[in-house]
Amino acid sequence: MTSPKSSHWDIFCAVVDNYGDIGVTWRLSKQLAREYQLPIVLWVDDLKSFAHILPTLNPTLGSQTLEGVTINQWNMPLNIDYTPGAVLIEAFACELPDEVKAIAKCAPTPPLWLNLEYLSAEDWVDGCHGLPSLQSGGINKYFYMPGFSAASGGLICEKSLFDERDAWQADSANKLTLFRSLGLSGIKADDKIVSLFSYETLALEGLCARWQASSSPVHLLVPKGRSLNSLASYLPKAPADIAAGEQFCQGALTIHILPMTDQTGYDRLLWSADFNIIRGEDSFLRAQWAGRPFIWHIYQQEEDYHLVKLEAFMRLYCDNLAPEIADCWKNLNLAFNQQQADAVQQHWQNIESFALPLLAHAKQWPIDALKTTDLATRLVQFVKKSLR
Amino acid sequence: MKTAHEIRPGNVIMFNDSPWVVQKTETTRSGRNAAIVKMKLKNLLIDSSTETTFKGEDKMDVIVLERLDCTYSYFADPMYVFMDSEYNQYDVEAENVGDAAKYIVDGMEETCQVTFYEGKAISVEMPTTIIREVGYTEPAARGDTSGKVMKPAKLVGSDIELMVADFVKEGDKIEIDTRTGEFKKRVN
Repeated sequence: MTSPKSSHWDIFCAVVDNYGDIGVTWRLSKQLAREYQLPIVLWVDDLKSFAHILPTLNPTLGSQTLEGVTINQWNMPLNIDYTPGAVLIEAFACELPDEVKAIAKCAPTPPLWLNLEYLSAEDWVDGCHGLPSLQSGGINKYFYMPGFSAASGGLICEKSLFDERDAWQADSANKLTLFRSLGLSGIKADDKIVSLFSYETLALEGLCARWQASSSPVHLLVPKGRSLNSLASYLPKAPADIAAGEQFCQGALTIHILPMTDQTGYDRLLWSADFNIIRGEDSFLRAQWAGRPFIWHIYQQEEDYHLVKLEAFMRLYCDNLAPEIADCWKNLNLAFNQQQADAVQQHWQNIESFALPLLAHAKQWPIDALKTTDLATRLVQFVKKSLR
Repeated sequence: MKTAHEIRPGNVIMFNDSPWVVQKTETTRSGRNAAIVKMKLKNLLIDSSTETTFKGEDKMDVIVLERLDCTYSYFADPMYVFMDSEYNQYDVEAENVGDAAKYIVDGMEETCQVTFYEGKAISVEMPTTIIREVGYTEPAARGDTSGKVMKPAKLVGSDIELMVADFVKEGDKIEIDTRTGEFKKRVN
């Protein structure tokens, strides 16, 4: 007699650049467990990196359950048995172990096998979303494409997120309390706050020059890491020797060094800033949900293909913006992504005159972008339909 | 074995003991330089088609079927008729010609490769580069003499619109890469 099929979902994640892939898969896992009561098993190959965004995680444990999600160390070869469940997800085209594929294929009822892909605003996403991928052995894999259109896989967003954000932003005492808890001092409620989480870029030199000469205080909140390497000329010592909690003033600009924070803390940081500079996929989406204007530093691709992806997103984001404001914001993003320090400085000056309409747009955009359903909801619907 | 990235329309790949002819491929860039290849495949055994996706690095078995060098003769809806050097004629269903149909024009001189499965002509592969005449394009823009300035152009005898170098004029013959559909150079 065969045992009844387990209803759990397995999500496999290979950590590539510390927080991006694991950031998305952890958010998705938590949401599926909390909002849909699904038994989720998240397999992660680098628990040390994961622990940076989930401090309660013990990286020495092979298996543990946190926030309703079972987290397994993904070793090669696996030293925890894989048991096929209802769904098997490989995140961001990570290659599943042969052992897992073989077991899945031989199961009396094979799991629904999905490749959760990267987020893109390009048109082709709709045409690839949900398509099968022929695999040897008779089991199909499906490509699940996150995206901004109704025909795509949607965008990750927890159901209560916008209410929590609105409540947070309604009282400026919240952000000042947050800043104090992060060890940041000297920030007043009306000061301009910019959060920075980017890759290395010469564009930051231009922005810092602009902020330094500003007529009112500008606080740049930056974690240790790649962004800081591009601020070397504004720092009195090497980025490697700088500690969280330190601050450095030059003219109107104060650079504050942030401690590491978990995902909830990072959301609140984005909600508390007047402008966010973010990178990758996870923080890119969270910055949109913050309802604040932002610059997206997109992961650089061969032949500058990242600029095609940036343009595709900017077209969507600017659809309801007045052309002069849209051009201004697009130019700023393009210049930043092309490391044009002088141009980025000029475009920053230009967007300052559109601060209010840009903020109003940033507040409306999450509602427009999310449409009626989020990624987790669409994913659950996709699975139900496919397993029928 | 070939990667999905290397597969071209006209190739025949094996999945689960069935040969599938690749009718169309479309490569797009995903995150971190990874590629996604969307293909239209036709099962040669049960005559059914499917749209499918692969990671660019996915490996697949490409089977080598009998192939003959042929030239295009004429279109007899829904069949494209090709002829070999001994004047034998072979009919290929328009559906199986796939993207290659975009480049087929009356009087074309290039040699195509017709593929056979169990004696039946099942697909056509265009040469990697072909030469076509530009039917319409705007004159060169003044001042745009530096950098890689491109403009749209239509080809004679087809609906293809592609980007060509700014110096290309109507009536010019240009070389096109059939794998990507991109303009390569002017040849006259």
